[in-house]
Amino acid sequence: MALAPMDESITLDQLTTDPYPIYRRLRAESPVTRVAAARRTFLTKAHLTKAVKDDPVLFSSDDPNTPMKPAFRAHTLMRKDGAEHMAERKAIMPALSPKRIQSDWGPLYERLADEYISRLPRGETVDLFQELCGPLAARILAHILGIPEATDEQMQRWSQRLIDGAGNFGWKPEPFAASEEANDEMDALFDSLQDKRRAEADGSAFSVMLNAENPIPMSQVYANIKIAIGGGINEPRDALATALFGLLDNPDQLAEVRAQDAWGKAFEEAIRWVAPIQASSRLVTEDTELGGCDIPKGDTVMTIQASACRDEDLFENGEEFFVFRDKNPHQAFGNGPHHCAGAHVARRTVGKIILPMLFDRFPDMRMTDRDAVVWRGFGFRGPINMPVVLN
Amino acid sequence: MVKVTYVAHDGESTTIDAEEGASVMKTAVSNDVDGIVGECGGSMMCATCHCYVDEAWADKVGTRSDDEDDMLEGATSEVTERSRLSCQIKLTPELDGLVVHLPEDQI
Repeated sequence: MALAPMDESITLDQLTTDPYPIYRRLRAESPVTRVAAARRTFLTKAHLTKAVKDDPVLFSSDDPNTPMKPAFRAHTLMRKDGAEHMAERKAIMPALSPKRIQSDWGPLYERLADEYISRLPRGETVDLFQELCGPLAARILAHILGIPEATDEQMQRWSQRLIDGAGNFGWKPEPFAASEEANDEMDALFDSLQDKRRAEADGSAFSVMLNAENPIPMSQVYANIKIAIGGGINEPRDALATALFGLLDNPDQLAEVRAQDAWGKAFEEAIRWVAPIQASSRLVTEDTELGGCDIPKGDTVMTIQASACRDEDLFENGEEFFVFRDKNPHQAFGNGPHHCAGAHVARRTVGKIILPMLFDRFPDMRMTDRDAVVWRGFGFRGPINMPVVLN
Repeated sequence: MVKVTYVAHDGESTTIDAEEGASVMKTAVSNDVDGIVGECGGSMMCATCHCYVDEAWADKVGTRSDDEDDMLEGATSEVTERSRLSCQIKLTPELDGLVVHLPEDQI
């Protein structure tokens, strides 16, 4: 067998602006391709991305040299495998379970959503991305994590800096300087809240981890909260913005979603159509083979779940937003041991609370100009503005 | 081959000739049985393959592990003493004819 073909034409700029035509071509012509600009082997078919993520031994998340380490001031569970990963993940899971979210936290989320939606102005153009999607995602997350003392602005700024640092593969000093500053602020806040969260158990992630029977080390408690900040704002924010675009751009589907109360389905379709997390990396631990190509040990493969989510083998007209698919086996939350820990939270907050409340409050909401909506991102993707008039 | 029957929440039942050694979750997913999602692929990280083992099979299937117990906390539908994560039930010849009931919701 031979190594996967090398593509030197694809640029990171193209992938950031609009990767979908590229992925469509790769799925048809060359589902395993070494993309020179990204220095990664791209996997664009659903069976390949799933196979890789379901096999953490052959395709490891462990990367001791990741820029995530300096960016988060810790080696986090995202870049660990096996028992170590499991122990840290289990420590935070009780705070993210559906029961906790539905029964204990549901009323709080509804109140927060109501508060943020109520302050939106009627009858004028408003950018929902700026005014609602980001801040509300930040506020809800701050409560889940047990750090409601952090402001929306802080949460969003920290999140962005952690992400920028984690993706700093060029090891430039500026992104790390920015993440250092964010880490100083976060560490100081966590330090100041620790005693309170320990004394007053409240079911938040911080409190749950501190009060566990066998708590994980404090460094990893902090690391877990930072991972949730880095990975828990952009995704619900982008999922919400994408769902709004899909529904407002397809009024017939919106009417049907309303009639059937199918907001959960609309949410699932939004994240299938444009997965908020588009790609993930895995390190190859042994020489192997994928899709008829040799994959050498030490190679880094990239599972492009954005592409898997539009794979013709699984989805008819996958390039289109269509809520009422018979089946929707998307991989937007990934799969395998690193399957998104926030999946339940996102489904309940965005799908069950925010979307229906927003359309109930503003039944005649409309997008001012669909072509003015700008989409961006290769690793993370979504609209970066969402101008609407609320009525 | 091992026969396994899935009884959906609405009562509809589907019987599959499963490969020996496969899990109840994998068998459902690869045969398009509705009602089992199995989003994490069987690594006990998501609780979307929740099932209730039929009373007649409870002893043969056995009990759940501590880790499985923890993860079931995350299941969407009611968890009972019959609840299992179907990814943790391997289909051995002793389980030929197994019947599992599916919850109303997995996500």
